[in-house]
Order: sequence, then C-alpha cells, then structure tokens
Amino acid sequence: MSWKKIFAVIRREYLERVRTKAFWIATFLVPVFFLGYMAVQFAAIRKTSGERKVAVVDTTGKLAPALATELASREEAMKQKKPGSRGIHWIVEPRPVTGDMEKTKETLRKEVLDKKIYGYLVLDPELIEKDRAEYYSISVSEFVALTQLEQAINKVLLRQKIQDRGLPASLGKELERRVDLKTLKVTTKGTAEEKGAGIIAAIVFMVIMYMTFFMYGFQNLRGVIEEKTNRIVELVIASVRPTELMVGKIVGIGLVGLTQYMIWSLVAMNLSLPGIASIMAMGESGAPTIPLSMIGYFLLFFLLGYFLYASVYTAIGAPFNSDQEAQQLSMIPSMLIVGGMAVYPSVMNNPNGPVAVAASLFPFTAPLIMYLRTAIAEPPVWQIGLCIVILILSTIGMAWLAGRIYRVGILMYGKKPTLPEILRWVRYRPGKVLQPATPPAR
Amino acid sequence: MTPAIELENVSKYFGKFPAVDSLSLTVPQGVVYGLLGPNGAGKTTTIRMIMNITAADSGEILVLGSPMTRQMQNRIGYLPEERGLYRKMKVLDHLFFLAAIKEVPAETARQRIAEWADRLELKPWLKKKVDELSKGMQQKVQFIATIIHDPEVLILDEPFSGLDPINTAIIKEYLAEFRKKGKTIVFSTHVLEQAEKLCDEICLLARSKKVLEGNLRDLKRRFSKDLLHLLVECRPEEIAALPGVASSQAVNGGYVVALAPGTDQREFLRHAMDCHPLRGFSAKEPELEEIYLDAIRAAGIEETRTIE
Repeated sequence: MSWKKIFAVIRREYLERVRTKAFWIATFLVPVFFLGYMAVQFAAIRKTSGERKVAVVDTTGKLAPALATELASREEAMKQKKPGSRGIHWIVEPRPVTGDMEKTKETLRKEVLDKKIYGYLVLDPELIEKDRAEYYSISVSEFVALTQLEQAINKVLLRQKIQDRGLPASLGKELERRVDLKTLKVTTKGTAEEKGAGIIAAIVFMVIMYMTFFMYGFQNLRGVIEEKTNRIVELVIASVRPTELMVGKIVGIGLVGLTQYMIWSLVAMNLSLPGIASIMAMGESGAPTIPLSMIGYFLLFFLLGYFLYASVYTAIGAPFNSDQEAQQLSMIPSMLIVGGMAVYPSVMNNPNGPVAVAASLFPFTAPLIMYLRTAIAEPPVWQIGLCIVILILSTIGMAWLAGRIYRVGILMYGKKPTLPEILRWVRYRPGKVLQPATPPAR
Repeated sequence: MTPAIELENVSKYFGKFPAVDSLSLTVPQGVVYGLLGPNGAGKTTTIRMIMNITAADSGEILVLGSPMTRQMQNRIGYLPEERGLYRKMKVLDHLFFLAAIKEVPAETARQRIAEWADRLELKPWLKKKVDELSKGMQQKVQFIATIIHDPEVLILDEPFSGLDPINTAIIKEYLAEFRKKGKTIVFSTHVLEQAEKLCDEICLLARSKKVLEGNLRDLKRRFSKDLLHLLVECRPEEIAALPGVASSQAVNGGYVVALAPGTDQREFLRHAMDCHPLRGFSAKEPELEEIYLDAIRAAGIEETRTIE
C-alpha cells in the first residue's frame, strides 16, 4: 500500500465531487425537501383550521346547545393560550327530526353534498346507550378536528349524566381532570426528562443515515462503472494497485458525505435546529438538547455502515459496463438498507426486544438499528461492542470480496458477466507471477 | 547491461484458450522494440503481464532486472490500448492527478506539464474540461501522462491507433527524442509498415506464440532472397531469358528479379549490362510483411487472418 498514491486518489475523488454543482444542489435541496415535507405533514395535522358548520340532530333534546357552548369555550381557551393561532371555528346548527330519521338524514346528506354544511352529527339516546354517536361528512379523516369533536361530546355527556343523577356540577369538573404521562428516560447517568424531541431527532438522524447510505453507497457503484466506460481505469491501474484505487475511492466518497453532514449541521445550528425540532415534537415547548453521544454514535455507525455498503456497491459495480447492467444486482444492497428501515417501528416499540437485538447484530441492518437503540434506549454495552465487532469484521470481509471482484472486473469489457463467472473471479488465484521459469510441460 | 524487459516462458490462459503460449523475449535497453502481430495474437495480454495488470499463469517476467514492483511501476510509462480520461476533470487537474499517482513531486509535475503543454500546443486547453477537447487533444493529454514521471522504459499499446497523420508525426518525433536519451520504447502494433520504419528490434507474434524475434536489419538480411531491382527497358521475356533468373516481376520502370540459388550477383549484373541498357540497380530488401508471412509459413502456423 502506498499512502501517497491512495491519498492522490482520495483527493481526486473528493475534490471532483465537491466541486460539482450536483453536490451543492443536493446539499441544499435535501434539507429543504426534508424539512418542507416534515413541515407540511405536521402542519396538516396540527394546523387544521377554518369554519366547520355541523348540523346536529339531537333526539335527546339536551345535548346540542351544551355541545355548542363547549366547542365555543374550547376555541376561546385555545385563543387565550396561543393568541393569534388559527384553530377550527365550529358552528353548531341544531336540526329537528322532520318526518322520520331516515328522511332527515337524506336531507342532510344532500346538504353536505351541496356544501351547505360540513357534516352532521346524530346524537340519539339509543346510540348513546351503545356508546356511540354518528358523524357524517365528506372528510372523515381530519384527525385533529375529529378529536376535538369527540372530546367535546364526551365532556358534554359526562356533565349531562352527572346532572341527571343530581350530583354537584363540581364533581364533573373533578372527573374531567386527566394526568399527563411524562416520560423519563433512565440512563446510566441518572434520569432525564424526555420530551419526545430527542426521540424525533434520533429518527431524523436515522433517516439521514439511511438516505446517505443510498446516496453515497450508490456513488461508489457509479464511480467504478464510470471509470470503466471512460476507459481510464487501465491508465490508473498502471500506477495504482486495484486495492489502492478501491480504498481511495471509498474513502474519498465517504469524505464527501461527511462534508455534507458538516455543512448540514452548521446550517442547522445557525437556523436553530431546536426550533425545527420543537415543531416536530408536536408543540412541546423548549429546545431539545441533542446529547453529544447521539452525534458520536451517529458518526460511528455512519462510517461503519458506509464502508460496508460502499464495499458491496463496489463489488456490484466492478463487473458491469453500465448502470443498467448493474441495476438488477444493485437491488440487493438497496433491499438491505430498506430492511433496516422496515424493522425500525418494532424496534421503537421494544428497543431491547428480540427483533431489536437481532436487527442490531445483523451487519446490514445493524448501523441503522443499533444507532436508533443507542439513541432511544440503553442497549447493553456488550451488544454495542459485539455489533461494532460484527460490523468491522463484515466490512473487512466485504472489502476483501469486493477487492477480488474489482481487480478482475475493472478490466472486463464487453459481455455482461454472469453470476457464476463473477464468483469464479473471487476464487481466481493467478499462477505465482514471479515463480522461476520452468520448461513447459508437454 | 541488464535487458529492459525479459520474459521467460511466460504463459497466460483464458479458460482453455492460450492467450500467450510460453513466450520468451528480451528487450535490450535503449532500443525501439516492436511487438507485432495481427489482432488477437496476444500483444495486449503480453503488455498487460509486463505491467503486472494481468498476472501470468507461469513463467518469469523481469523489468530492468527485477520483478515488477511498486518502485518499478514508477519507472515505466504505460499507454494502454483502451485509454480514456476522466471526462469531467479539468486538463491541468487531470495531469496533476496522473503525476501524483506516479509519486511525482508537485513542483516537478508543474514544470513538466508546462513544458509539454507548450510543445504539444495544449496550453490554451489546460483550464478546460477533458470533455471539451477533441479526440486528438485528449490523446496528447494521455501521451503526456505516460512520460510525466520521466520513465526509463515506455510501453505503448497500439500508440498510433486513432491518431491523425499530424499527431502521428508529433508522437513519432517525441519517440525519436526519447530514444536519443537512451531510453527504451516497447510498442505494439498490427500495422507492419509503421514498425518497419520505427523499430530496431521486433518480435512477431501469431496465435499466442512467438514466430520471430531479433534485430530488424539482421532479419532482413537473413530473409533476403537475393532480390535485385533493375532499372531497365526491355521486354519481360528478355529478362526471364537471362542466365540465373529464377523469377521476375515487372515493377515501375523496371523489374524485380529473384536469382536462382548459387548465382553470383556480380556475374549476373555484368551479363545483364552487356545485353541491355541498364540505367541502374539496387539490392531489394524483403519487406517486413514478406518476412512475417515467410516466418509463419516456416513455423507451420496456419494463419488464416490477413494482416493489414
């Protein structure tokens, strides 16, 4: 290994990539898209606003006015808590039953379709007996709006029941009180209040790691193929050993990834990531603190995972002459990366459960999952250690395999090689090049 | 002096097919050495084995007296047949990169790039991207890359393929200068006329095997068939009737005459001069192509491919 030569390759890979417009566009567009997407998502959930005119068919005869009052007072309370915020303005319109219930519903159905009302609510003693109330609307998936409505109905019902039994109204107030479940994370350093922002930051970091495995892993494949199609590779191989070229390439591209992270974190620090994170923490106020260990683990698992995936992508790129040819096989690492994302919800539910442990010891899902676990729970130290050892060993193994395929593959032009052929390259052992000459056996 | 390159019984198989079959050759230092043969004869494989890009299956390869090591790699300039450049790189950056992987110090690289860019009229293009260069310009960049580290031995695989006549002339001039400095040049070609003009020594390959090797002048003498070129005006029958003529062929302004074995040249010429108005004569050397065809016939290799 000549470090001078490897350094020259790293330098080239790094500078040529960082100098492209594509790099800067990706650097600035990814966070913009990412935050934009998150913002739209949360805005859609949180900031449902506007007028909702709801007809109420109340056959109990008592609930509708109380519901109107309750909704109005909630709105008032919201305005006082957050002045200027725009919530939902409910207009409750009591409707008598004209003719029978079915006919009334039919009339209201038409009104909904004609957009005269937003929806209609049926409060019927028989239904309420079965713990039900019915709400009809074109849009029945507005999480925030429907939650408000449901809470209001329940509150009104509760008060009504208390009144019916002749109990004091203050009891109602008493019964309405709820506790908030405050989550506190137990760590070796004591307990710290977990506001949810930390967990969300961990997930955001994991998604970033996931995306960069794709982006930069795939760049290795592209780079290898590009050198082949450009026919530059043989000129380079005359000066640099294939292994050196491979290592230089992987490191150079990895550094591009780290540079991008640096830029992102600098931008985030200046644009106050805490503010963004607190939006994402669903209105929890206060800046979340991102512990240093979270960033340390992030870099560690990013690097381990990147080297592993970069080797896989290199091995896959080397035998082929075009992206298209390599496409089929490049599905394999893509699936493995996606696999890590696929198990993450169940890891969230049970961060030290069997699925979590298995996924954090399987090398291809380990970087994402072990990172997530270190961020949201305290996995046993031996597991972290074992995971790192497994990752290092499998990266070395993969790099060895990639190197073997690479040194043969980069000089193979023409026909698309088959998988058995590629496997033969791995086993291929050239005759001892420098063995003393022997007369040919004839 | 240690030979520049020495191959001893080198073989390389692709599957069951021998790409190079127990090849031995010696390239002395300071010569222009041609590795000749039709496409598929094993030239590129031989060169790649010398460069240690492809490993030989058996045999020994020595470059400047030692096996091809990392240090050796930096003393050799190599121009592959399949050559390209990083298309998005700026020419200057590219040349610096190619110098860096030969471990040329940056300052030395800067001087040499400036010098060569000047000579090859590449200066206005140094800040451009490789993409923007014509094919000929790109080839100049590749040639600079092969000599940026001032190598002792140059190995060029089909250096003239795809070059226009002007660039061919430039490259030939630069090879001549290189040789004047006492350095060794090995190049492969399937165009025998080129080799004939440039080479001191040649090795002819056909069907993965060596057919002939040696000093070109010696070979020509050895394969000379006592051919005489006569400048004379007379009828073909009259030439054929001269004593000692084995065969004759009319060429521009005269005849090429092959003498029967054992015929004394001076005796024949005196006789010819007596009978006919002879304006001039010269000994006609065999062309490389004829030597080649004779050699493969003698080696018993049935060469079905035609040579260009």
